[in-house]
Amino acid sequence: MLLLAFALAVVILFVVLRLLGNPVYALISVGATDEEIAAAAARLGVDRPILEQFGDYVLQLTRLDLGRSFTNNLPVGDEILRRLNVTLPLTVLAFLLSVVIAVPVGFIAAWRSRTWYGTAFSAVSQLGGAVPVFWVGILLVTALALNARIFPAGGFPRSDWEDPGAALFSLTLPVLTIAIVSGSDLARYVRSATLDVLGQQYMRAARATGQSFAGAFVRHGIRNGIVPVISILAIQLSTTFVGAVIVERVFALPGLGDMLLVAIQEQDFPSVQGVLLVSTTLVLLLGFVADVVQRIIDPRLRASVSGNRRARAIA
Amino acid sequence: MITRHHRNRLTATLAAATASLLVLAGCAGGAGSTGAAPDANAEIIVGSQNEPTNLDQIFGGSSGVTEVFTGNVYEGLFRITDDAEVEPLLAAETEVSEDGLTYTFTLQDATFHSGAPLTAEAVKYSLERFIGEESIAARKSQLSVIDTVTAVDDKTVEVTLSSKSISFTYNLGYVWIVNPEAGDLTAAADGTGPYSLGDYRKGDSITLEVNDDYWGDAPANGGVVYQYYADPTALNNALVTGAVDLVTSQSNPDSLAEFESGDYEIIEGTSTTKELLAFNDRVAPFDDVNVRKAVYSAIDREQLLDAIWDGRGQLIGSMVPPSEPWYLDLADNNPYDPELSADLLADAGYADGFSFTIDTPDSGVHSTVAEFLQTELAKVGVTVDINIITDDEWYEKVYTDHDFEATLQGHVNDRDINFYGNPDFYWGYDDAEVQGWLAEAEQADSTEQQTELITQVNQKISDDAASVWLYLNPQLRIVRDGITGVPENGLNSLFYVYDIQEA
Repeated sequence: MLLLAFALAVVILFVVLRLLGNPVYALISVGATDEEIAAAAARLGVDRPILEQFGDYVLQLTRLDLGRSFTNNLPVGDEILRRLNVTLPLTVLAFLLSVVIAVPVGFIAAWRSRTWYGTAFSAVSQLGGAVPVFWVGILLVTALALNARIFPAGGFPRSDWEDPGAALFSLTLPVLTIAIVSGSDLARYVRSATLDVLGQQYMRAARATGQSFAGAFVRHGIRNGIVPVISILAIQLSTTFVGAVIVERVFALPGLGDMLLVAIQEQDFPSVQGVLLVSTTLVLLLGFVADVVQRIIDPRLRASVSGNRRARAIA
Repeated sequence: MITRHHRNRLTATLAAATASLLVLAGCAGGAGSTGAAPDANAEIIVGSQNEPTNLDQIFGGSSGVTEVFTGNVYEGLFRITDDAEVEPLLAAETEVSEDGLTYTFTLQDATFHSGAPLTAEAVKYSLERFIGEESIAARKSQLSVIDTVTAVDDKTVEVTLSSKSISFTYNLGYVWIVNPEAGDLTAAADGTGPYSLGDYRKGDSITLEVNDDYWGDAPANGGVVYQYYADPTALNNALVTGAVDLVTSQSNPDSLAEFESGDYEIIEGTSTTKELLAFNDRVAPFDDVNVRKAVYSAIDREQLLDAIWDGRGQLIGSMVPPSEPWYLDLADNNPYDPELSADLLADAGYADGFSFTIDTPDSGVHSTVAEFLQTELAKVGVTVDINIITDDEWYEKVYTDHDFEATLQGHVNDRDINFYGNPDFYWGYDDAEVQGWLAEAEQADSTEQQTELITQVNQKISDDAASVWLYLNPQLRIVRDGITGVPENGLNSLFYVYDIQEA
C-alpha cells in the first residue's frame, strides 16, 4: 500500500508539474532572445521528450537522489535536510505542546462538563479551532514582538542550531501559534472521546466492582478512549506539518514550507517534487505508525486483520 | 568621478582611525562620548525582498543577484557609479584604437578571494562566458558586439569589436570578472571585490565577509548580511524590532507612515523602473498612432501616481528617466485631456470607442493600475478587460509569443530605450527612423553625438506614444537611525554596500 501510494505520487507530481508551465520562463528577464530561451531549456533538460525526462527521474529516485535544483543547481536532498532543521523541530514541538494543552483541557471539559469551567474550556477550544493560523500568528507578533519586544518577530538564527537557545527562542512564537490552533482542535476530540468513555457500560460495571473513578478510568477508560484519539493524533501531526507552510511565511522561517512556496514560484520542479515526495512519505509513515500503535493497544484490531485466516484455519 | 568614491572611503578610513584614537582616549579619560564614531567592524544587516534565484548573473539570477554581488563580491573592468557615470575599476588603463574597434585594457593588480591572481586569461574567460551559448544574462545581446578577446600578456587584454560601440565600457560595468578555476557559480562565488561570499542559505540569507586582501580601500563596515523576507509585513516587523538595519527597496507605500519618525530615515532616490502600459503596436487598433495617443491622454497619471505612491515617484513621458543623458522632460507631451482623447478616437474612426484586454501580471501593483486604467478609459468609451496572469505566463504569452493586445509591466533596466529599435521586441514598435538613429548612436564617435541621436529617439517614441509610460517608480530605502553611507539611487538594482557604516 505504502509503495503504491508513493509510486502514484511520483507519477502525478511529475506529470502535473510538466503541464503547469515551462520553468525557462521563470529564469529569463526582459531582453532575452529566442536563442537564449532555447539554450536555457537545453541546460535544464526540459526540451527533451517527457518520457525520457520521467525515465531519468525515476532512475534518479531509485538511487535516493532527488536531483538538483533548476535555479541554483544545489542538490535538492541537502536543501530539504537543511530546511527540515527548522520544520521538524517546529512541528514536533508544536505538536507536543498542543497535546499537553489539549489532553487536560479536553478531559476536564468532558469530566466536568456541567461546571462553569468545563463549559468555558469547551467554548475556548471551539473558538481556538475556528480562528485562522496566520491571524493567531499576527496577534502574537504584535503583542509579544512588536509591543512587548520579548521575542523576535521572525527569522531563524543563521547559525542554525549551533546556539540551541537562540534557535528555540526564535521558534517560540511559531510553536505557540500552531499549538494554540491545533491544540484547540485536539481538545475537542479528547473531550468527545472522554465523554464517550464515561458513558460506557464497562465504566459503570468497573465502578460497581468497587474500583475508584480514577482507577477505572486509567484501567479501562484510557485504553478504550485513546484508540480513536491516536488516529486523530496522526492526522493532527500531519496537518501541523503541512500547516507549517503558512506559519513559516508569517514568521519568515527558512523551513520546508517556505522552500515549497518559493520553488513553485520559480518553477523549480526538482525542488517542488522533492519537498512533496518527502512530505508525502513522512505523512504516509505517520499513518502507518499510528496503525501499528493502535493494534498494540487494542487487541481487537489485531483480530480483525488476522480474523479471516483464523476462521479459515478453524474450518 | 573616479575619486568621488575613493575620497569617501578615504574619509571613512580616516574617520575610523580617528574613532579608534578617540576610543583609546576615552578609555584613558573614562569618558563614553564615542557614541557617534563609526564602527568599522559593525556587521550591517540588509533586509530585502529581492532574493536571487541563484548566484550567477549569466544564469538568470534576476536583479537580486546584482543587488548583492555586483561591485561588492565581483568587480567589472568598469564600475557604474550611483550617479550613472562610468569609471575604471579592474581596467587600470584603457586604450582605444582610432577606428574604435580595438580596446586594450591594462589590469589592476588584484587577486581573487581564493588567492589566485587576476589575469588576462580570467578576463578573457569572463567576457566569453558572458556572451557564451549558455548565458541568459540581461546584457548579453548588447555585448555580443565583442568579436575576439586576446590575452596579450598576464596583465593586458585586447578586445576587438565587430562594430563600434559607444556604450561598450558602460555595458562592461555589468560584467563580472570571475575566476575561471571556480567552476559552477550558481551557489558559490570567487571574485575580486571587497567582500567574499561567506554563507548562502537559500530562502533565508546571504552573508558577505570582508576580504582582507582587497586591492582597494577596505570597506567601512565589518561585513554585510542580506536577510530575505518573502512577506512585506515580516520585513517591516524586522526593521521595527531592529532585526535589520535597512531595507533596500520599500515596495509598499502604505507602511511608510510608520517609519516617518526620527528613528528612521526614508531615502528617496530615482530608480530606473518605469511602469508601462505597453501596446502590441502590430495589431489593430494599436497600430494607429492616434489610438495610442488617445489612450495616453485619457489617463490621469498624476492621480494614479498619487494613489499608488502617495505623491512619491515621478511622471515621465517616455522610456527615459532623468538619470540618463538623453532625458527630456516629456511628461506633458501626451497630456491628460479627455476631450483631446475623444477627438483623437474620432479621428481614428473609433468615435464609439472599442474594447481591448490588458494582460496583467499578478505581481506588484499591476492589478491596481489595471483597475485604474479601466475606470479612466471607460470615461472615453473604451472598454478594458483585465486578464490576470502570472509572471511566467507573461514571459510565455506576451514576451515570447506576442499574443496580446496590451499589457502592464515594470521595466527595470537602465538605458533600455534601445528596445524600441528592435521591431521583434514584444511590443513590436517598428519605426525605420528610430532604428536608424539607435544604430547610428551606438556607432557614434563621441558621447555628445550619441546623446543627440538618442534624444531624437526619445522625442520620436514619445510623439508616437509607442507605449504609455505611466510613471517612474521612486527608489525608497528605509534606514535605521545611526546607519550612514547607503547608496541613494537604484540604478538597475546596483547596491554598493562598502560605504555603509554604523555610528
